[in-house]
Amino acid sequence: MRAILNFAAALFVTNLRATLALRGAFWFAAVMMLLNNLLYFSIWWIFFDRFDEIRGWRFGDMAALFGVVAAGFGCAVVFAGGVRDLGRYIIDGELDGFLTQPKPPLLHALGSQSRASGWGDIASGLFLIGISGVVRPTTAPLVLVAVASSAAVFTATGVILHSSAFWLGRTDSLARQFWEFQIAFSSYPRVIFGGVLKVLLFTVIPAGFIGFLPAELLRDFTWLGLAAVLGGASAYVLLAFAVFGRGLRRYESGNRVGLRA
Amino acid sequence: MTTAALHPGFRPAKYLAVARTALRQALAERAAIVGRMAFYFVILLIFSQLWYVVGEMGALGELGATEFLWYLALTEWVMLSLTPVHLDIEADVRSGEIAYRLSRPISYLGGRLAEAAGDCALRAVTLGIWGFAMAYLLAGSLPKDPSGLLLALPLGVLALWLGLVSMAAIGVTAFWLQDCSPVYLVWQKAAFILGGLMLPLEIYPDWLRQVADWTPFSAFMYGVGRMSFGFDPVLAGEVALRLVGWSLLTTLLLVWMYRRALRGLEVNGG
Repeated sequence: MRAILNFAAALFVTNLRATLALRGAFWFAAVMMLLNNLLYFSIWWIFFDRFDEIRGWRFGDMAALFGVVAAGFGCAVVFAGGVRDLGRYIIDGELDGFLTQPKPPLLHALGSQSRASGWGDIASGLFLIGISGVVRPTTAPLVLVAVASSAAVFTATGVILHSSAFWLGRTDSLARQFWEFQIAFSSYPRVIFGGVLKVLLFTVIPAGFIGFLPAELLRDFTWLGLAAVLGGASAYVLLAFAVFGRGLRRYESGNRVGLRA
Repeated sequence: MTTAALHPGFRPAKYLAVARTALRQALAERAAIVGRMAFYFVILLIFSQLWYVVGEMGALGELGATEFLWYLALTEWVMLSLTPVHLDIEADVRSGEIAYRLSRPISYLGGRLAEAAGDCALRAVTLGIWGFAMAYLLAGSLPKDPSGLLLALPLGVLALWLGLVSMAAIGVTAFWLQDCSPVYLVWQKAAFILGGLMLPLEIYPDWLRQVADWTPFSAFMYGVGRMSFGFDPVLAGEVALRLVGWSLLTTLLLVWMYRRALRGLEVNGG
């Protein structure tokens, strides 16, 4: 376990060095994403300026939700940026390079890329959580739990969706589109969804574990809430490993000659 | 590279043929069409829930949740029908493909715009039919005065043209920036906010609405979506004039930027 953690840390440091090598491009991408998110969020400022609340949800709650989702997504693409290309790796036979090395192939494939724009997502997310007013000094450590579990569920659903390529062939653009649906569903107040849709948002589309539950944990801490957040995230991560492992048995090696340094 | 190749004579038939070919190619990409339709549905579904909750609170005033949902169906129809022509131009610049395309007996920019228009026509038709059906399904009825929707169709076509030339201008920035996606993201968010993609400008504070009116975005999105609130030919005429005016200005800007970009390309030995 220790060796795997060391490997993950080494992957992250290598990727960080690579993205920072183009310093101007790094800052440009991160700052533009920060502005992009804040501009997008201003729609909610306009909304709550007019309507004040939706079934008890106010501007601060929305800022916390949006902040958790943005920071969670940012962490997913910074630490596991390879998830967006996993389907392509599978279909083009590019997993070969990861399978020939004595490290867990899924971890290696996920950590093989890091996106500079993700730092902008993280910064905007933390800024919005900061201005939401729902976090007190005593509950500040929960921000880490909320963002980490959101990132874990984002990454796990990405792995599950892209692993469909093992069975269905080229599905990468569709998988990416459905992955982005998670963002669409996660960044709206939970209270507007009811009935079957609510059930779907905690199962097939895990928006509940990406945004709603972690954000509510910041708002009203309960031990049950914490257990639900951690339990949900762990379940999706285990499911992702199981689906990828199952798919790997069907994987047919590519014939591309390449080198991973 | 000859001047004639850079500025070939304008023959509409050539560009129509390019647009037709692009439309046929887009028709073959069924997964992309289905993906766009699914995304459109998801957005309408989420906002139908949101507006019904806000409507239950009695906060929408004279207009109901149905009109707000139809408003979104129209604005999203315009936004999702736009072909990302800026990405094609950026890819040509980054890969060097532009050098080959410039030597063809058709204007590079005109060809790219014709391709985008062909693809955009298919998107507009498929998403228009789909959006109408889904908005009807989720709203449960047409808006109180559905005749306004008829005015939205020609306004939508004008808005799409404005959108395409704007995105082409964003694509041309790749000659200097290489990566034009940051410029696109800012333009897109400006369209979301100042255009009123999700929220009609009636909801906005007065000062922000005034700012929006000075930009092309209010006619581009709100001008089309507003037609779901009722039949208003005078307003539609005003929106049409603004769309034509902004399209002309943007086209002039695009041509100016493109000429400057080509000059730079020649100086660099392209």
